[in-house]
Amino acid sequence: MSSREEVYTRHGGKGGDRGKILTEMMNAEGKAEVLDDILVLDVSCANFAGIICASFLAEFGAEVIKIEPPEGDAARQITPFGVTVQGVGIPFMFEGRNKRYMTLDIKNSDEDRKTFAALAKKAAVVIESFAPGEMDGWGIGYRQLSQVNPGLIYIALSAYGQYTDKAREAARAPDTDITSQAGSGLPAQMGAPAEDREPFSWPLRGGMWVGWYISGLSAALGGTVALLHRQNTGEGQMVDVAGMDAYSSMVGMPATIGFTWEKARPRIGVLDFILYPYGHWKCKDGFVAIAAPRDHDFRALLKILGLWEQEDDWRYSSDRIPDILEQALHLHRIIEEKTLQFTADELVRMALNYSRKSARSKWRGGGVPIVMKLMTPEEAMTNKQWHIRKAFQEVEDEKLGKYTISANFVKMSESPPRVKWVASEIGKDNDYIRKKYLSD
Amino acid sequence: MEDYFSYTAKLFNLDDASQKPEALKGIRVMDFSHVIFGPVAARLLADYGAEVIKLELPFYGDLWRPATYWGKYWKHSNPIWHNITKNKYFLSVNLALRQSKELIYKMAETSDVVIENFAPGTADAWQIGYEKISKINPNIIFLSCSTYGQFGPMRYFPGWDLLAQGASGVLTLNGYPDTDVFYKLPDYVGDFVPGNFAALAVLMALYYRKKTGKGQYIDMAQTEGLMRTLFHYTYYSITGEAIGRTGNTDPTMMPASIFKAADGKYLALACATAGQFKKFASAIGRQELASDPRFADTIERLKPENAKTLTEIVTEWVKSKPGVEIVRLADEAGFPAAEVADDFTIANDEWRRKRGSVVLFKDDVYGNLVIAGPSAQLSGTPSRTKWLARPLGYHNRVVLKKFLGLSENEIKDLEKKKVIGTFDDRPGLKPPVYYNLDEDPIYNYGKEVSS
Ligand SMILES: CC(C)(COP(=O)(O)OP(=O)(O)OC[C@H]1O[C@@H](n2cnc3c(N)ncnc32)[C@H](O)[C@@H]1OP(=O)(O)O)[C@@H](O)C(=O)NCCC(=O)NCCS
Repeated sequence: MSSREEVYTRHGGKGGDRGKILTEMMNAEGKAEVLDDILVLDVSCANFAGIICASFLAEFGAEVIKIEPPEGDAARQITPFGVTVQGVGIPFMFEGRNKRYMTLDIKNSDEDRKTFAALAKKAAVVIESFAPGEMDGWGIGYRQLSQVNPGLIYIALSAYGQYTDKAREAARAPDTDITSQAGSGLPAQMGAPAEDREPFSWPLRGGMWVGWYISGLSAALGGTVALLHRQNTGEGQMVDVAGMDAYSSMVGMPATIGFTWEKARPRIGVLDFILYPYGHWKCKDGFVAIAAPRDHDFRALLKILGLWEQEDDWRYSSDRIPDILEQALHLHRIIEEKTLQFTADELVRMALNYSRKSARSKWRGGGVPIVMKLMTPEEAMTNKQWHIRKAFQEVEDEKLGKYTISANFVKMSESPPRVKWVASEIGKDNDYIRKKYLSD
Repeated sequence: MEDYFSYTAKLFNLDDASQKPEALKGIRVMDFSHVIFGPVAARLLADYGAEVIKLELPFYGDLWRPATYWGKYWKHSNPIWHNITKNKYFLSVNLALRQSKELIYKMAETSDVVIENFAPGTADAWQIGYEKISKINPNIIFLSCSTYGQFGPMRYFPGWDLLAQGASGVLTLNGYPDTDVFYKLPDYVGDFVPGNFAALAVLMALYYRKKTGKGQYIDMAQTEGLMRTLFHYTYYSITGEAIGRTGNTDPTMMPASIFKAADGKYLALACATAGQFKKFASAIGRQELASDPRFADTIERLKPENAKTLTEIVTEWVKSKPGVEIVRLADEAGFPAAEVADDFTIANDEWRRKRGSVVLFKDDVYGNLVIAGPSAQLSGTPSRTKWLARPLGYHNRVVLKKFLGLSENEIKDLEKKKVIGTFDDRPGLKPPVYYNLDEDPIYNYGKEVSS
């Protein structure tokens, strides 16, 4: 492998065995699991942020019990175009990682609430997404559970959170991905400029679950901080995630820009507020992404595309930022005229050749102009890089058959996350769980 | 029993937050990272109490320091940089120089975590990669962040958020069907989401180390972080078809779109379940929809032809009412709706301030700045902001004297050799003009300050 590598970092130089050593080192097989002594109860309902958070903990080895009513969590039917396999939706199958399934009707049955409380006594983490205060009203909220189990970490997911007057007023508002995206500010930043025709000029939703994945990730991160504190002190705590915070709190920009600029940014289409060139362009046979934002990267790009005569006008990044939209679009079209003359592969090759030469040069400042062929998710699955890294995994559900998932988000040398099995069957582990946790 | 919301108000009281314990107190992080991806992972650790020392190139600094939206600076600093790197110690040392290694190796002895996101291979070439650092400190947790990962044929390719969006497929998903108009996700989501994933991995490694005493190497590829958030692959493997672009409609729920209200406000309205749909139908006075065989059952409702009809019905209804009224109705009835918030509303919403998801922070150097709070609020060990970003090299003396025991003379010598340094006159690197650094006891740590 190493002799044919595209080595063009300016410092890494030699390539060699490091890749092989790492491939070995990052193999997950037979390695320890971080959370093998942690019991997690996920009673979230119709809320994938909760399910996603539970998945991350399960991938790191926790025993995760998905608790749902006898008819199953409504999340099972949240699925693109209504596509299911034997009644199970695609996202539910995708997130059905290393989990146990138990049925309890905690919404309606006193008996089942007691069973839940008995389980929660032994659990390290509870995840729920009922209306704020609802679990508390049933006597199984953080307030009550923490009396019996002071080490409990209680993760609550909702639209507006568990405290403040607003949370009280809007307690009945359910949390979904699209309302989380809208309420936390993503669509305001995406789409064509206001002058464009409708509906292109409208704020645009992210075409994936940006809201729910950010909430789920935030919950898992907050929950793991809490687990560390519990490991040190034995104390538990409550973790409160609000969908209306998701995007804005994770990227931080809306709050600060709204304050320093005293207004909202307009939508600027395919351009970027800070960097240029930093986006995608049409080429002969599709699209390429180009990132050459720093001045030396930009100079390199001009050379590659045969546009050196433009250098004078656009030399500094401050010349290129799209604060005057028309001007930036002008440059955009100049570049497009060139990219249209080549195929994606040709453009990638041209950038690589340049970068390789500049990496070998003793002169600094050659720039790293990056050109990449744009991939759809389906095309991404065929990339050899991910094959070697085992980024995709074919899994088999006993009932639902084989399917492919993107596996773990990270590689770790000692205690990596992993997908051991997938399952989705309602109540599948009722007996196992009762025997293991409720027989005393 | 006390009312739930007064109970939680006390539990999460923001006024108490600074007195509460910090979960990561005593954890020391050497942060070699730059731009957004690595720095965000390190900042999250700092937010929860870790001591994060950020090492930057003298007189240049992190290349993101001057990178502000439309080139707009705030008090000669990059306003959005504060959120990316707050709560850190800013040490400016040239990692590539032989003379720096002594300092770094010494720091490695007492560090718990190292974070870097140079192009793969760079840290090793500079002799500050995992191989070297783990020899000095075998229990180190070493996080390498990159676009494609540290192994595999594409490992040496440099990258940015954009490339991760492009390589995972994310970039092609945002836009309208049957057109070739589509957009990248804004605000470098392709850095922030993987940065949070990376921090999660480090927290897991810390948990593991406490149990076993063992450190480890972590390879975080930002593309793989994004890929973990796409069930599109599974959809494809099962149906043989792509989900593709679906414009402003989320194909997993119905209704679920962004609509335009009577007053021109944009809002998202969704019904994830049959129950929510029932509430919606009666709230708009169209109970019959909830028993219509095309819509009553969730899976039926999601089928493209039924979804289209229903979306048209909802579009018409939303058009007839102002945005606030719709959201009020939704909150009362219990179905999801939210206006599209923008920078200005987010910065100024009262409830966000009260919740602490948007914070007016008073900083010793910069004064008042509104910054984002955490995306998860913890009642026991909350995330907090202690200070904003600092000029390049601001903490040189604190770090070198207090943490490494260097003398003023040794520091002066390092300065002369340009192993360490500070800022030049560029905005993003230097302090605000009004600020007198000569009188700053932290900048001049261990020196006589004339104030
Ligand atoms: C961002 C990126 C493309 C930049 O590529 P690059 O310019 O080739 O830089 P490298 O990563 O090889 O790092 C070398 C540079 O780091 C800089 N640097 C940063 N901090 C430094 C320090 N403390 N001391 C010395 N040099 C430092 C130097 O300018 C050096 O450039 P030089 O070779 O001209 O001296 C690359 O770092 C990358 O791919 N990172 C991984 C993916 C990623 O995280 N991207 C950013 C997402 S926000």
